[in-house]
Amino acid sequence: MRPETTPRRVASVAGAAAFVIGVALLTRGVAASNAAVGLSDAAGDALAVPRWLYVATGGAAIGASALLAGFVTDRGFVAWIHGWRRDLYGGRFRRGASTAAGVGGAVLVALVVYRGFVGPQVSTINFAVVVVFAGGRAGLTMATYLLGNLWPAVNPFRAVDQLPTGIVEYPDRLGRWPALAGILLLVWVETMTGVTRRPDVLATAVVGYAVVVVTGVLLLGGDAWFRNADPITTAFRFYGRVAPLAWERGRLTASIPGMRLVPDVDPDGTAAGRVDTGTHDPGGRAATDHLVSGLDDVAVAVALVWELTFSGFVTTEQGAAAVRAAAGVGLPPVAIYAALFIGGFAAFYLAFLGAARVATRRVRTTRSARTLAVAFAPSLLIVAAGYHLAHYFGFFISLSPSLAAALTSPLSAPANPVVFTLPAWVSGLNIAFVLGGHLVAIWVAHSTAYRLFPSRLQAIRSQYPFVLVMIGYTAVSLWLISLPTASPAFLG
Amino acid sequence: MTDDDPDHVLRGDESAAGATYVCSDCGRAFHTEDLRVLHRGVRHPSALNAAEQQAYRAVYSEEERAIRSFRIRALGILVVLYFGLLFLYVVYAS
Repeated sequence: MRPETTPRRVASVAGAAAFVIGVALLTRGVAASNAAVGLSDAAGDALAVPRWLYVATGGAAIGASALLAGFVTDRGFVAWIHGWRRDLYGGRFRRGASTAAGVGGAVLVALVVYRGFVGPQVSTINFAVVVVFAGGRAGLTMATYLLGNLWPAVNPFRAVDQLPTGIVEYPDRLGRWPALAGILLLVWVETMTGVTRRPDVLATAVVGYAVVVVTGVLLLGGDAWFRNADPITTAFRFYGRVAPLAWERGRLTASIPGMRLVPDVDPDGTAAGRVDTGTHDPGGRAATDHLVSGLDDVAVAVALVWELTFSGFVTTEQGAAAVRAAAGVGLPPVAIYAALFIGGFAAFYLAFLGAARVATRRVRTTRSARTLAVAFAPSLLIVAAGYHLAHYFGFFISLSPSLAAALTSPLSAPANPVVFTLPAWVSGLNIAFVLGGHLVAIWVAHSTAYRLFPSRLQAIRSQYPFVLVMIGYTAVSLWLISLPTASPAFLG
Repeated sequence: MTDDDPDHVLRGDESAAGATYVCSDCGRAFHTEDLRVLHRGVRHPSALNAAEQQAYRAVYSEEERAIRSFRIRALGILVVLYFGLLFLYVVYAS
């Protein structure tokens, strides 16, 4: 028995349209406010918006769109949005293309190490720095959440799995925590050790990573290593779930961007029909491909949001000033950065878990706080993708000529490196990226709630604590991207 | 990690204490009769008998009224937000 009749469907479409229009109006207001922030120093009669008002507007945009999402109560419509798939390609040449990409990846890694050591030790023209940061950290990651996850094809270390591996059984109780530690460690190395400025240090770090990966694969086997412990593969796998393109049952399928993040679980807890055939499950997890299946995965999702916030903070003038002020008291800079990095991550993580706890208390449900945290964590990945785009889009565009030059002539550094200068409105785009990520995340959470709760009011009410946490994340992030950038204190 | 088995995690019956209304088809427990009726209507629509269908219709339309009141309140909040921000911009953005 389905009470959803045609007028109801029309009403829900109208509700969705109202959501989109409301969002468009709100974001337009915010974009205008930012252009004003950018102009406020330039002209006396331009509209100057105080920073607190700009941040509050962003928070209000999130809250308002969550309320508007609550207007859409048609289960059929909500399920249609995230269940929409289009079959694109059978993948006849998949194996060949994947081998070619793997060879390409191996050549790139070898060139990064070689040019890192022997190339000119200037970060802006050195092949290693340009390819790893403009290519990998910015470009490949953007491609991963905008198109689809290319890393499994490009990853040259997959080849190690052809050797006899798996000497030790992966201890299942470790879960995905090793990957989380690896992600945090990589961000720490990126911020603290000068890999972005010194090509030889970067090449050493790449060699170190390669040694760890090869050892890990030989010891644990490729599946266990890449699924549970490899930080780069895990980060790309999480980002890749945001993308519209993915392989499902051996075929390339398209979905609405971000909608694969809605967990494939019925409200009664049994996994629904779709199964990714391309995934293995060495960790004893079920055959269905749950992206997030435990608190370790929740922590990974939060870490992807936090690492961008952290690297955003330490590269602002205010962040550098704060670190200098703390150092002035006599604290060692490394300890300040470590406390900030780990403390901030803990704050983000505990805020999310706290939201799950409050949500279970507020709605009369038999689902645990842990279940809610696990179910809603995938929506954070859209947030992370929005932050990443805000932090790296301009960087990638401006460095793309250098990247193209490095890739076309890897063995000779360009005499005259070209860098695009970006127009001022790109900073307005960054605000749109941060807010846009949060808005899609709100829809994903809304859709997830409809899969979890039998009552539509429960689904709406369960969202409030998560929306508050999202508003907190947005406020921090919008504040950060409005600040002038500087090189981090004590690290330059 | 045995308790990371997704089915177990997502079933989430850890806090089922005090939930006495159990679905006869899948065994999920609920705190109120209405929630069980809604659950059965959404998850097991073909397993409902005539009385259960009647009960589901009743609970559903009752929930519809609650949702209408939510919509009105949400609209109120949106209006307050809109004009609040408008006046904030009038006063502080110059």
